[in-house]
Amino acid sequence: MASPSDTSASPSERGDKRLRAYLRPYEGRLAFGVLLLLLTNAFDKAIPWVLQGAIDALEGGTFDKVRSAALTVMAIAAGLWIFRTRSRIEVFNVGRDVEYDLRNELIDNVHRLGPTFFRKMATGEIMSRATSDLGQVRLLVGFGVLRVVDSIFAFGGAIALMLALSPELTLYAMAPFPMIIFLARFFGKRLYLRSREHQEALAKLADVAQENLAGVRVVRAYAIEDAEQRRFDEANQAAVDASMRLVVLRGFMWPMLLLVASLGTLIVIWKGGEMVLAERLTVGELAAFNAYLAQLVWPTLALGWLLSVVQRGRAGYDRVRAILDAEPEVHSEGTVVPTGPGAMSVDHLEYSVREDGEEVPILKGVDLQVPAKGSLAIMGTVGSGKSTLAALLPRLAPTPKGRVFLDGEDVTDIDLRELRRAVGYAQQEPFLFSTTVERNIAFGMDDPDGPDARERIESAAEEACILEEIETLPDGMETLVGERGVQLSGGQKQRIALARALLNEPQVIVLDDPMSAVDARTEAQILRALDRAGEGRTLILVTHRVAAASRCESIVVLHDGAIVERGTHAELCAAGGRYSTLAERQQLEAELAITEDDARESRP
Amino acid sequence: MSDSKATPETKRAESRARLLTSAQAEQAERHYDLALLKRLLPYAKPHKWLFIAAMILMPLSSLMGLVQPYLLKRGIDSVVVEKSEGALMQVVYLFAGALAAEFVVRFAQTYLMQLAGQKCTADLRGDVMGKIQRLRVGYFDRTPVGRVVTRVTNDIDSLAELFASGAVTAITDLITLVGIVVAMLLLDWQLSLVAFTALPPLALLVNLFRKRARSAFRDIRTRVAQLNAYLAEQVNGVRVVQAFGREKECADEYKDINAAYRDANYRSIRYDALLYSVVQSISVACVALVLYFAAVRAGWVSAGAEGALYVGTVVAFYDYIERFFVPIRDLATKYTIIQSSLASAERVFQLLDTDEDDAPHRPGDRPVVEEEAAVAFEDVTFAYRDGHPVLHEVSIAVRPGEHVALVGATGSGKTTLTSLLLRLYELEEGSLRVDGKDVRDWDAKALRRSFAVVPQDVFLFSGTLRANLALGELAPDDDRLWEALERTGAADLVRKRGGLDGRVDERGQNFSAGERQLLAFARALYRDVDRIILDEATANVDSETEHRLQLAAREALEGRTAIVVAHRLSTIREADRIIVMHQGRVAEEGTHEELLAAGGIYARLHKLQTATS
Repeated sequence: MASPSDTSASPSERGDKRLRAYLRPYEGRLAFGVLLLLLTNAFDKAIPWVLQGAIDALEGGTFDKVRSAALTVMAIAAGLWIFRTRSRIEVFNVGRDVEYDLRNELIDNVHRLGPTFFRKMATGEIMSRATSDLGQVRLLVGFGVLRVVDSIFAFGGAIALMLALSPELTLYAMAPFPMIIFLARFFGKRLYLRSREHQEALAKLADVAQENLAGVRVVRAYAIEDAEQRRFDEANQAAVDASMRLVVLRGFMWPMLLLVASLGTLIVIWKGGEMVLAERLTVGELAAFNAYLAQLVWPTLALGWLLSVVQRGRAGYDRVRAILDAEPEVHSEGTVVPTGPGAMSVDHLEYSVREDGEEVPILKGVDLQVPAKGSLAIMGTVGSGKSTLAALLPRLAPTPKGRVFLDGEDVTDIDLRELRRAVGYAQQEPFLFSTTVERNIAFGMDDPDGPDARERIESAAEEACILEEIETLPDGMETLVGERGVQLSGGQKQRIALARALLNEPQVIVLDDPMSAVDARTEAQILRALDRAGEGRTLILVTHRVAAASRCESIVVLHDGAIVERGTHAELCAAGGRYSTLAERQQLEAELAITEDDARESRP
Repeated sequence: MSDSKATPETKRAESRARLLTSAQAEQAERHYDLALLKRLLPYAKPHKWLFIAAMILMPLSSLMGLVQPYLLKRGIDSVVVEKSEGALMQVVYLFAGALAAEFVVRFAQTYLMQLAGQKCTADLRGDVMGKIQRLRVGYFDRTPVGRVVTRVTNDIDSLAELFASGAVTAITDLITLVGIVVAMLLLDWQLSLVAFTALPPLALLVNLFRKRARSAFRDIRTRVAQLNAYLAEQVNGVRVVQAFGREKECADEYKDINAAYRDANYRSIRYDALLYSVVQSISVACVALVLYFAAVRAGWVSAGAEGALYVGTVVAFYDYIERFFVPIRDLATKYTIIQSSLASAERVFQLLDTDEDDAPHRPGDRPVVEEEAAVAFEDVTFAYRDGHPVLHEVSIAVRPGEHVALVGATGSGKTTLTSLLLRLYELEEGSLRVDGKDVRDWDAKALRRSFAVVPQDVFLFSGTLRANLALGELAPDDDRLWEALERTGAADLVRKRGGLDGRVDERGQNFSAGERQLLAFARALYRDVDRIILDEATANVDSETEHRLQLAAREALEGRTAIVVAHRLSTIREADRIIVMHQGRVAEEGTHEELLAAGGIYARLHKLQTATS
């Protein structure tokens, strides 16, 4: 709950300044809203003033005056309705506008951020900041602003009018109010601490539940459900206790604030009554005085609540800012538009990531050349750096300057969007959006509704050997995929992702093991299709299958961030290194699968 | 906001929303809400005295608030009509008394109500957790952990909000309203009736705005779900968006949803503001009406002198009317809270109603078999999903004290066999006996307690090492724990980490995979039962750790019936018998030498293993 920025004041102050900057575009409307609030308060204060005359008139027996005063109050009520409605709309809408802007800024920055950021901040964390923390900020700029301004006007107006009626009685009536400042400080601090304790108790409870569920197999296998339930019950009780401590505090705070506000009324009856008896005050003035005090009850009560809104809003903004201020790793500063045939070269590429403050080298000087329309396979064990290498080619990670070239141009000098258009990429984990199959394939298309779009989508699907299967889906191309749609198999997803990458006909296509869940036969079919369509295309294929690698013109084997073998399939097999061992093993596996198939067929 | 941009989901959600007319939906909702509240009642029952005490205090706290305007009237009368200092002071004392009483009663009432509410929700939370402990493992294969955790945390919290926000004490508001009406009628029934004429237009307007606000609110809920789903998807798929350079297009789509969300909020703000201010204004108008009529009536009765008699009453009415409209104004907020709490209650009860019990008692005609086998699989066929069997007619008998190694490629069904043995999944076809008794006739807990398990991916709970080694035991025997640690060679490790009180972080992430394995062996030894299931980890560990794990495994298996899902050649070789699983069937069976000589699958697998290691 406590982010580091909570403890020191300066980042929060800077945050406040930044937060004000978000209000700038809406200054006009906010000012209008504040003006309307002022009018609302003026009308509000006018009521006791009119009533005072009316009551004195009632006592004096001049009933015409009472009736016209009543009609005036009616008119004021109508005016109040309009002003109060409008002022709330203006101010609250600004809160929503700021929320809207913050959200838009958020997604723009999310799109700019690289893998380092997402390693540090999990999706759940990002989502919680984008929802509940953002909501707290909105409350601060909407409700918070309204309440602060309204309270200032209400207190200022009421006190001024009360002073005009009777400075002496004002002094008496306001005597309890300084206590509010004391109470606000007293409760504000404790409320914050107790709420945090409560949040922590709830978080602990969630942890216990989370852990129990994550370890459900152990819990069952060891039959320790009872012990787990005990552990949970303890956390549950701790949460109740923490919650009750908060309840006691709140339970004191509200009646306490109410008491302070009501004490004023008591004093007005007492001192004011004496003044009326001594004829130093009219009864109408007494009633008006009481009415002004009554108008202060709500702003006083709201004070306690305002404290927590401000606290939480500022904390929330600090947490949202962690995303908004995150520095993108890949900058789009290049301007060159690639036009060449698609030759890629990598010149002594070194790359490392920071983990726990330590530089962990991933690539240790990799050299590669792929001629235009050529093909290259990259092989290696898990953790050898092959996926990182693939991601660095289209700059999906921060590619160092002067190391990776497309047709002789340093990729960091190429316009980012153009580079990614020229270098197509499909990853091992196929990510599909929860929309139709068609829209997923057409994801990279500028005109998915254009006249030849359907044709292009289908030909890409065909190339990825998925078209036939798409046609058997319930709604064909229109089938929804993802959580609310059809569950596709891993292989199907991979092939749709592949079709998506093929659609834009990039000069270079980088495939990061995109067929691991596709069976060997289909993979071979896809590779043949790629070969056929590959005349105008450079292929860089990361794979762990020898059968796929052997179709490429050249092969490199990565180990621990460095290339340890390179050559053609035949050369590497003859060399007797890692590649040839792997080739032998996969050969055996393939044989085993065949015998298995035979065995199954021979069985009745 | 262009409609052509709407994704198919938005269209679907919209069409679904259109299916129910708002009136129908409202009616259905009301009915449903009642049913949900009824289900909550049993949780209130054990704490009924707290609730009753709080309920008794409710009218009392209302009353203490209500006497204040009356005392105000008496005070004014005392100065205007009686003109007596003594009478005034009497009123002042009474007023002070009322204030003090209100403070005490309010605090007591809030405290009792909240305590009752907290106890209620804590009980419910405990029940939900208990239910989770009884759900079958298959349920968790389908349901993401996060979703289930949300039931225990957020949803129950939202229910607790019902009590914390005072939505439940809306009853107090009702009592207050009735009290005010009665007080006003007693004070002056004619003026009261005049004041009440403002109510019908108020009811009309409130209803009108509330309906609009509600429809806006529904819209907001749909939009915010879309907004969050879209953002989550963008975060998860950010690499695809970047790889295809579609940042702008995706952001535009998101901004469209965002704008729709904002616009729905604009609408909700408009109606909320109208609602809030109309209540305020009508309350003022009400006061004006009372004043006007008081003057008219005083004019009828006499030509002037009687006015003073009404001053106190009018002032008191002013106060009563103000108090009358406060709960009406808050009604909308409380209604929203109740709605969202009930939505949570619905999800919680849905989980409680899930009919997927773990290892249910299934009496059947399965005689106890006298056999020379500690564990016997007989023609076991099993499928996680219908039509995709992972085991086909598997028959394996393990003699007491025998070590059997299960060998085979991933997906050949080895781990499934051990899961069935522990009854984590329910056997459908064939028979599986432990000590001659079918597992379905065993008490699930007794069955599971008769095995020690070393899983492939060792899970450690956060807490101390002691709690992790003596899983579930209230008073672990430290001497025996150390003995187990010594025997598995994990004692040094534990000493280095602060002994048995050493801290284990969440998921045991402060221990390496190898260390976790060692601890799991010690855990199994401490259990000290006749049967052990060892699912060897496939993860690569350095040769030093490898050696230690080997020794630990040997120690743990010593003198016990063991079923080992084996990956290490050393473990396989030491087994009394090797069973080769292939595509859900027992393909070969025998000792290492026999199988090698046979030149079948095992021989090939063995060659593969040696080729890569």
